[in-house]
Amino acid sequence: MDLSLYAREGEREFVELTRAFVRKTVNPMFGGDAPDGDLDRVPSILDAAFEVGIAASPRSGMPGFEYGIWGTSSDNPGGVRLSAILLSIVAETCAGIAMNLHVQGLASRVITSSENDLPEPPARVAVALQEGHTPPCYRALLGQGGRSDEGIGTRAIPAETGWVISGSKSFIYGMEGTDAFLVFCSTAEHHGGENPGCLLVPAGAQGLEVRDIGGRTGIRACGLSHLALKDVKVAPEHYLSSGEAFSQVGQAVCLHWLGISAIAAGNASGALKAAREYAAVRYQGGTTIEEHPAVRKLLALSEARVEAAFALLLQTAGFASGNADFLRRCAITKLMTTDWAFSAVTDALQVFGGYGYMEDYGMEKRLRDAIVLKTTAGSRNYMETFISDAGRGEIR
Amino acid sequence: MKPEALDFQAGVDALRPENASKHLDFFGKLLVDNREMTIWEHDTRLLPAGARIWRRRARDFARRYIRPDAARADSLPREYDPRPIVSQAARKGFQNLLLALPLGTAFPGSYFFKSASFQVAVVAEEFAAESGGIALLLMAHHLGCAPLLLSGHVPTILRHLLPLYARTLRGRPEIMAFAITEPGAGSDVEETEGGARARLVTTARQVDGGFVINGRKCFISDGAIADKVTLFAKLQGEGLESWTCFLIEKGMEGYSIGRQEHKLGQRASDASELILDDVRVPQRNVVGSLRSGWANNRNVLNYSRPVVGAMALGHARGAFERALEFCRNTLLGGKRLIDYQDIQIELADMMIKLWSARALIWHSCSQFRCYQSASAAAKVAASDISFEVCTKAMEIMGDNGYLESRGAESLWRDSRLTQIYEGTNQINRLAVIEHQWAEMSGSLFSG
Repeated sequence: MDLSLYAREGEREFVELTRAFVRKTVNPMFGGDAPDGDLDRVPSILDAAFEVGIAASPRSGMPGFEYGIWGTSSDNPGGVRLSAILLSIVAETCAGIAMNLHVQGLASRVITSSENDLPEPPARVAVALQEGHTPPCYRALLGQGGRSDEGIGTRAIPAETGWVISGSKSFIYGMEGTDAFLVFCSTAEHHGGENPGCLLVPAGAQGLEVRDIGGRTGIRACGLSHLALKDVKVAPEHYLSSGEAFSQVGQAVCLHWLGISAIAAGNASGALKAAREYAAVRYQGGTTIEEHPAVRKLLALSEARVEAAFALLLQTAGFASGNADFLRRCAITKLMTTDWAFSAVTDALQVFGGYGYMEDYGMEKRLRDAIVLKTTAGSRNYMETFISDAGRGEIR
Repeated sequence: MKPEALDFQAGVDALRPENASKHLDFFGKLLVDNREMTIWEHDTRLLPAGARIWRRRARDFARRYIRPDAARADSLPREYDPRPIVSQAARKGFQNLLLALPLGTAFPGSYFFKSASFQVAVVAEEFAAESGGIALLLMAHHLGCAPLLLSGHVPTILRHLLPLYARTLRGRPEIMAFAITEPGAGSDVEETEGGARARLVTTARQVDGGFVINGRKCFISDGAIADKVTLFAKLQGEGLESWTCFLIEKGMEGYSIGRQEHKLGQRASDASELILDDVRVPQRNVVGSLRSGWANNRNVLNYSRPVVGAMALGHARGAFERALEFCRNTLLGGKRLIDYQDIQIELADMMIKLWSARALIWHSCSQFRCYQSASAAAKVAASDISFEVCTKAMEIMGDNGYLESRGAESLWRDSRLTQIYEGTNQINRLAVIEHQWAEMSGSLFSG
């Protein structure tokens, strides 16, 4: 599968740029003994991504400000679509690196779409949407039905010098060395999740504790942490919502789900390519195994699922807008593409037989990444409930 | 709680089967099973006495000895010393289950009216629910012993299997391993047509007093720690039809351990390469007759696949139990996750699948002789179900599912191997068909 085919006229140069970046910068991560690649290289890879403009930045002078992944060009469906394709291309080689670029772009997008102009936006940002077991701001987006809770638990109270935040956020993906977190809170006067607010919290803020999450299955090239906020003071200019918080949450959730979908589809596409290459050179029973009916069946199903994932992803990206129906479409896309991608990866791994289970061939890493993408940012049960509620018009 | 809510709860309680059945007549009450009993206990009581005893012993052993080691054995497999748990299992009789009392530790009733695999399978599920790696570490030993028994060659059994079991009972356990896979031939050697085309290199050359073996085997479970290996080689100048089983012993000149694989899961048991460089094997170490290896190997798989299915089932049960615990302890919207109907439906679906897998596994080794179709079907069904259930368990737990501290993800990693080893599930599907297809005509199920 050649993802370039999905790019339109004028987008190909970005695709080629991304491919060159992956070839030159990401590929050398692999080849050693470490199952997730040489993770010590990740900071320099991300530095390079900023330099070439693949990583979005909320700073207007930076190369990725406009055309980086989820840069300001994502104001229109074409930009969303292109960012999704670029994410997939990176994820074909390493889903963890793609996750770094995705969450950076997501946070940049929230900042750049805010009506508040930050005097000096931070370079590396992460979005803190999730609380406890609840998927991204689900509670904030849900109306009266379903599993409505007491609202977003993290609260921001107005103070003389700005805002004071207390609460916790969980499962925050972000680059190592993140400068600041975008924390979605319920503001005091609107407590109950009716109108959440988004505040920028510097990583070194007093009262903010960034907790290591411990060992995990996959997407290890991207940082993951919990946040504990205790009376964290935030300057007034770091309140980014200006009455638009609700659409900010919606936009962030949409792009998050699309990004996860794009990474999952890219990861699966990479697995399929690897399986095809292996099947073409591995001899068993007098022929290459690509001639074996069982292998052909695995490859065909894997390919069908990867194609279906991209078809749905790109179709949804083409509908990009700020309304509730787009949110519903993104939820469906996340639910289905991560599922198809997971199945495609496990079928591709099966083609390798015993070798697929060993770290040397990289397939087990793809499977580990695929299950994380399937379960993060809203498990299957939540997505089903969300889609059901959205279909009944209960999602705002 | 408001009065109307209390009234509603009282109404619900009155309708619960255990309360409603109080209104039945005496004989009606006798026919209702309202005993407060876990599914595990219900299933255990289905078993014949011997297997029932081993199931209880295995669960206790797994909780007492395997559970404390599970995380360490998974995260630091190279530093994990397997000998203590092997010795402990041997002392408890778990390593001698392929023979019935008094020669082994299996109970005769379950052994002769079920099969030699039945009690091993029952134990395997319990071990695997705690740790896939440690379960494999202990179960691969039975696989290594199986060719000695299934050769049916009395001198082999007297010469090798019985002394091995006797030493184990005396507290000097030896670990056995089973070696068929070669770098160029994996699942091929587990299926007829594949076998006919397989490119096998390990070859035995007859010399005075025995054989000299050259070649390599790969992915051998417990290969690095095994004291003895039942290893299959073709005879020089002949094809797979000449396959013969040899007992290779640690310390034989020319025999060495090569690469040890880094695996996704089941890490406590090594998967190693065995290198044979002019290894001289005495005649007494030929297992069974010359050229009986292919038939022996195929029959070993008939007996081992239900056990692999049981291990897969154990992984899934372990992951299910961890998800269940999570759902009981996690609040969402003021309610426990388990109180939501959609979660209940997911959990019920997982339970149904676990149950069906167990039924098929127990069925597949419920006759004195295990047969190919049923064994392969049990392995395929249980391993596919296992991976599906483990995946669902992680999904239900959301982001918590992929945290190592929650325990489900390691079982998920463990379960994926069961779709690959003992023949990939694709090869096993062919085995399901082959056994019936070739010999019989007409309907397969209605006689």
